[in-house]
Amino acid sequence: MDARLRAGSAFLALPSPGRTVARATLRMTGVLVAIFVIFAPLSSLVIWSFTRTWHWPHPFPQAMGFFYWRKVLEGDLFRALQSGLLIAVIVTVLTLLLTVPLAYLLARYPVPFKAAILLVFLLPHAFPQLPVFVNATTLLYRAHLAASLSGVVLIHMVGALVYAVWTMTAVFRSIPESLEEAAWNLGASRLKTFFTVALPLATPGLVASTLLVFLYSFDEFTGTLLVGSPFVLTLPVYMYRTSVGYELQVASIAALLLMLPGIALLVVLERYLKSEYLSMFGRI
Amino acid sequence: MDVRVEGLVKRYGRVTALDGVSLAFPAAGLTAILGPSGCGKTTLLRSLAGFMPLDGGRILFGVEDVTALPPQARNTAMVFQQYALWPHMTVFDNIAYGLRLRKLSAAEVRARVEKVLDLVEIGRIAGVTERRPGELSGGQQQRVALARALVVEPRVLLMDEPLSNLDAKVRQRLRAEVRRLQKAVGITTVYVTHDQEEALAIADTVVLMDGGRVVQAGTPQDVYFRPENAFAAEFLGVSNQLSGTADADGLSVGTQHVSYSGPLRGPVTIVFKATDAILADSGVAADGRHAVLRGMLEERLFLGSAYRHYVRVEGESLMIDGAEPVDHGPVTVRVPMARLQIYAAP
Amino acid sequence: MAPQISRRPEARRPGHRPPRAGDPFKRWLSLGAAAPPLAIVVWLFFVPFLSSAHRSFLREGEWTLRNYALVWRLYKIDVLYTLGISLVSLVLVIGIAALLCGYLRLVGHRFVEFLFKIPLFVPFVVVGHGMRVLLAPRGTLNSALAQVGLIDLNDPPSIAFSWLGIVIALVWKNLALAVLLVLGAYRAVDESYLEAARNLGASTFRQIKDVLLPMSAPSLVVASAFMFTSMLASFSIPLMIGGGEPPHMLMVDVYYRINYQDDLGTANALGMVSYLLAMGVAGYYLRTITVKPA
Repeated sequence: MDARLRAGSAFLALPSPGRTVARATLRMTGVLVAIFVIFAPLSSLVIWSFTRTWHWPHPFPQAMGFFYWRKVLEGDLFRALQSGLLIAVIVTVLTLLLTVPLAYLLARYPVPFKAAILLVFLLPHAFPQLPVFVNATTLLYRAHLAASLSGVVLIHMVGALVYAVWTMTAVFRSIPESLEEAAWNLGASRLKTFFTVALPLATPGLVASTLLVFLYSFDEFTGTLLVGSPFVLTLPVYMYRTSVGYELQVASIAALLLMLPGIALLVVLERYLKSEYLSMFGRI
Repeated sequence: MDVRVEGLVKRYGRVTALDGVSLAFPAAGLTAILGPSGCGKTTLLRSLAGFMPLDGGRILFGVEDVTALPPQARNTAMVFQQYALWPHMTVFDNIAYGLRLRKLSAAEVRARVEKVLDLVEIGRIAGVTERRPGELSGGQQQRVALARALVVEPRVLLMDEPLSNLDAKVRQRLRAEVRRLQKAVGITTVYVTHDQEEALAIADTVVLMDGGRVVQAGTPQDVYFRPENAFAAEFLGVSNQLSGTADADGLSVGTQHVSYSGPLRGPVTIVFKATDAILADSGVAADGRHAVLRGMLEERLFLGSAYRHYVRVEGESLMIDGAEPVDHGPVTVRVPMARLQIYAAP
Repeated sequence: MAPQISRRPEARRPGHRPPRAGDPFKRWLSLGAAAPPLAIVVWLFFVPFLSSAHRSFLREGEWTLRNYALVWRLYKIDVLYTLGISLVSLVLVIGIAALLCGYLRLVGHRFVEFLFKIPLFVPFVVVGHGMRVLLAPRGTLNSALAQVGLIDLNDPPSIAFSWLGIVIALVWKNLALAVLLVLGAYRAVDESYLEAARNLGASTFRQIKDVLLPMSAPSLVVASAFMFTSMLASFSIPLMIGGGEPPHMLMVDVYYRINYQDDLGTANALGMVSYLLAMGVAGYYLRTITVKPA
């Protein structure tokens, strides 16, 4: 073999045990860095949640405990949590009611302007939301819906609809039509087939949509801040207020509570749902 | 360069893909590895390349034990079944990739790429170096893949069913090309295929594998005419199998009798090829040099190059190929004794 | 296998089922089903969006360009500030994701892969507060570093309330999405392309640079466009971690303009600027993809 090529090929041969040790150490360092990066902000939240007093510059809180938990569960935080949960539930139910039939039709029928309709739901996420919602607040105000639960529900739905429409359309499209045709063949009406064949088969999609919409509404901040003030408070807005007000323990507890549904879902998703659904979570 | 593998073992969970495989691949020769799906031939090839760690055994390139080396360090080159030509690089960049990794100068790279393009006979196509692989035909892409492998002058050339993605006609033509190239360059080549005709046509050595083990290794003629066991006999060519019993008087096949002077006794498997048998109307007598069996011709298909007759003998359906069609009905099957392979039944 | 419900050819097309429903019925049914959800988006997004345009030209009831003049005078630095932060964050996110996912694809590390899914489920507001607590001048990070002696207690650096804090928060949150998308694109690259490179001598890094990145470039561009526009439009994070002094990110400016100055005209003019930026970026990126042949 040619000498020059041989020299070049020898260059590629990887050597020594020393290099393997170096590589293993690098790998371990990388893992530690990753753990630090991911958990540093989160652990700060956890520490502050269980802190009673902590003065700078001590490395650890002077007094820890459930003091602030007891305090907040009786006060405004609990009210904010309640409102937030209630709103999220209402938003989820309404969204699914409005979008599931539409999604089925979009999947099965030759709907005019199908692509345009799907795109419309995506637009609230393509443009900066704040300026738009500022003007929307005026509209809601004129309709006497500002600072009310209904107003907040509506502003949440603007952004939530896309999660349900897109997910359910894709899910219905993936169900072979022959399964429904078999039911019609045997005499079932369209409606009955929908409820007994299509909908049960679409359950994973329904679960995904429910989770996505619920989480979106529970975590929604911008619209709630504008529309809900001053009477309707959800947990994100409450957390914001207490954070900038330097009530750090309370804010951190609120933050932890906000994270709980998300973490639970992470565990569920790891096992059950596909990564397409996962990527939609990143937009919340 | 001589390549040897000793006692290779590879397991995937419960499945043993390689079960103690030991082989020698002669220097500058083309060794074809042949076998049914799942026999381990691709696993063997990929372990030579270093794409998978082994559970046991050694691989030797010359005197060097390369078993622990990663693929980058082994200096082998593989030609993939689906070519694996990078679609975002031009033909030139595809071929030059290995050379550039070896830090050759731009002038060197250009010279070598042009030389190898001529070797695989696509150098003459105008502007071929600037085209993307997607713009070339299948046969041309395969030549580029070959060029990419040959240009780095590897110690071993590994080919993973390189022609099976091509049309039958293109395959026939490229077969001869591959053999010509291999001889011209003189590189030790391991060629995996499931097409036995291809293996017999181009190889210096044929290795037949089944279930992770080597069944037989030898020249193409060895393996075809002198199969060592029933599997080998059955795998190569279009084969027929009959069960019989051997004793001192001869072979009993069902109710029929064939003369036999070999050493085996007890249940045996009789194998012969479709092209070795002659079909005649009933009533032809036996003679010492032929085995004669009576059967019923049930079906006849026209293949173009021959007629394939399906004859039922003692419950088995046999395939007999012949240039002339024979009519349905009772027939005689005559096989020269020299072409009957008889093995002890398991 | 042909469905046995009808022998008429038109019966085989999806969405058709003779003899009951005809075309017009289906069309009206579909539009009827679409109307309520569409109405919500139209009323509370489209109309306000158009309203932005309208109001940006109004000041005290009169048609004027003064709002835009004010935007130019007061906020041009902030526009650059916003673009700059978004660009820096994007480059960091894509850069880290490209390399990290290359390693995850070629070598693999299930635990790290799982770790980087966690920020997906942490809402933006929580990221804001978490970073605030971590990176504030008297935050946990500085506190920890002070114990080790790396920081002067009397003059701790303020990472939060600065552009760096915002960048860190945006990178932290968006990295999870980027890893998901980039790893998906990398996994779609057929293994044989990587084996061919490895076979010829390519190291892990070269496999990323020569094969994985070029072959998944379109997906990366789309992901970048999306993340960049979302960073431009970020509100809750800069609100919590951006600090009191200008410059601010654009959404914070819009909010302050409404909340403290009650100036709908200028706020909407600024909003219009942000829409144009978002559309411009998306358009530019998408054009780069569609020009290249597949």
